[in-house]
Amino acid sequence: MKAKISALMDGELDAHELNEPLAALDKDVDAFATWRTYHLISDALQGRALLASDCLHRVVARLAEEPVLVGPLPAQVAQPVRARWFVPSALAASVAAVALVGWMAFAPQETAGPLLAPTAQAPRTAPAVVLGHAAKDAPVRLPMTAATRDYLIAHQAFSPRNSLQGVAPYVRSVSAESAPAKP
Amino acid sequence: MNRVLGALLLCMVAGWAQAQTTPEALDWLRKIYRATEKLSYTGTFVYQQGDRTETSRIARLAGPSGGTEKLEVLDGTPREILRTRDEIRCYLPESRTVKVDRRSDTRAFPAVLPEQVGSLAEHYEITLGETRRIAGYDCQAVLLTPKDDLRYGYKLWADTRSGMLLKARTFDRNGNTMEQFTFTQLRIGSVPRERLQPPRAIQGWRVEQAGVAPADLAQAGWSVSAQLPGFRKIVEIRRMLRDTQPVAQMVYSDGLAAVSVFIEPMSGRVEDARIGIASMGAVNVYTREVANHWVTVVGEAPAASVQRIGNTVEYRPR
Repeated sequence: MKAKISALMDGELDAHELNEPLAALDKDVDAFATWRTYHLISDALQGRALLASDCLHRVVARLAEEPVLVGPLPAQVAQPVRARWFVPSALAASVAAVALVGWMAFAPQETAGPLLAPTAQAPRTAPAVVLGHAAKDAPVRLPMTAATRDYLIAHQAFSPRNSLQGVAPYVRSVSAESAPAKP
Repeated sequence: MNRVLGALLLCMVAGWAQAQTTPEALDWLRKIYRATEKLSYTGTFVYQQGDRTETSRIARLAGPSGGTEKLEVLDGTPREILRTRDEIRCYLPESRTVKVDRRSDTRAFPAVLPEQVGSLAEHYEITLGETRRIAGYDCQAVLLTPKDDLRYGYKLWADTRSGMLLKARTFDRNGNTMEQFTFTQLRIGSVPRERLQPPRAIQGWRVEQAGVAPADLAQAGWSVSAQLPGFRKIVEIRRMLRDTQPVAQMVYSDGLAAVSVFIEPMSGRVEDARIGIASMGAVNVYTREVANHWVTVVGEAPAASVQRIGNTVEYRPR
């Protein structure tokens, strides 16, 4: 189980593999202790300042008071980055912590099916948080799609290049559809 | 010793002089803008970007009301664009769509006047390059080298007699070509009207109107706080992109490069949007999510600039 918890922390598990370790965290005190210890190790390795001991409880309490937002999550925007996470990085640790907090906040509300909330929430929350960081630093490279063309055409109307080159720069705006995806 | 110092000084002065905007180069740039506005011509040009090339036919008939221009893409599906001073029509055969962007006289498309060219020297060093023959025309090269990393550089080649632009190259700070337009054939002079007719077989095509209206995004709670140096807001509108909900558009420009910021509710965008950056030639498109809205930034500027503008978009409801 320890290996699985470690893999969960590092974001190395596929969606169908999440049930088992999450269930263990829910029921098994030792598993939960392992989870916390791994985070402590990770924080120590990364030289991160430790939070006050009751931080978790205060965050959970605050979360419980917040309304649950239901809306489209940009979670499916890219494949999770896995290879980099062999060593629990600060980012992975914080992501996992968010996942945990999310799970803990949801757990008390679950009476009939305690696994429902964690399985539904954890895998979606984790990549979304990671990408929030990734998008700021090195954004994901996307192919130009036909849908992008609308924006290119709308933009081109205001480009000062038109005064320099006439209608010629429009070739870019209507070109998007046949543009191959760049690797 | 003195000779070495003298040579060194000469080199420094030469280097410094080379990087300075010269009045001759500015005159040349004005000449290009004037030619684009005044000339009638037909020709064929090649657009190059990465390892892709696309050939197009272009025709322009100058006129008192700004003239009429037509672009026909000759490779792949026959896309066509007709442009006048206050209307742009894009004919897209794959989707059987005509996209129409129409302006009233009061909100005509912004045009750079030859008199405004001088202000480009704030952000670019404008100098003259070599002379060279292109498509049968003797051309003068004009270089616009950016003073910072926020914009691309340009090299323009124009007919020494008429000022007509025959080749335009966009390059990044390492001198790599981002994209290039080159005429392979050009005829300057009167153009028969039938060369500027819209395509005929468009029965049953969908017509999408841009329906542009003024907008006040600050009032709606949106802000683009830290703008790029030299880029100022030139347009703030509400428009349709497809037949869905209106999209807000703000355009920032330094007089040569432009960056558009589009904001739309997530629910309004039908196709899958993704967070990230896409590039084609000198155009970068950065998509991110802010407060349940998609923010799409499109610009003829380096990816970092486009991203920087995109990352300052904020929503604070009033």
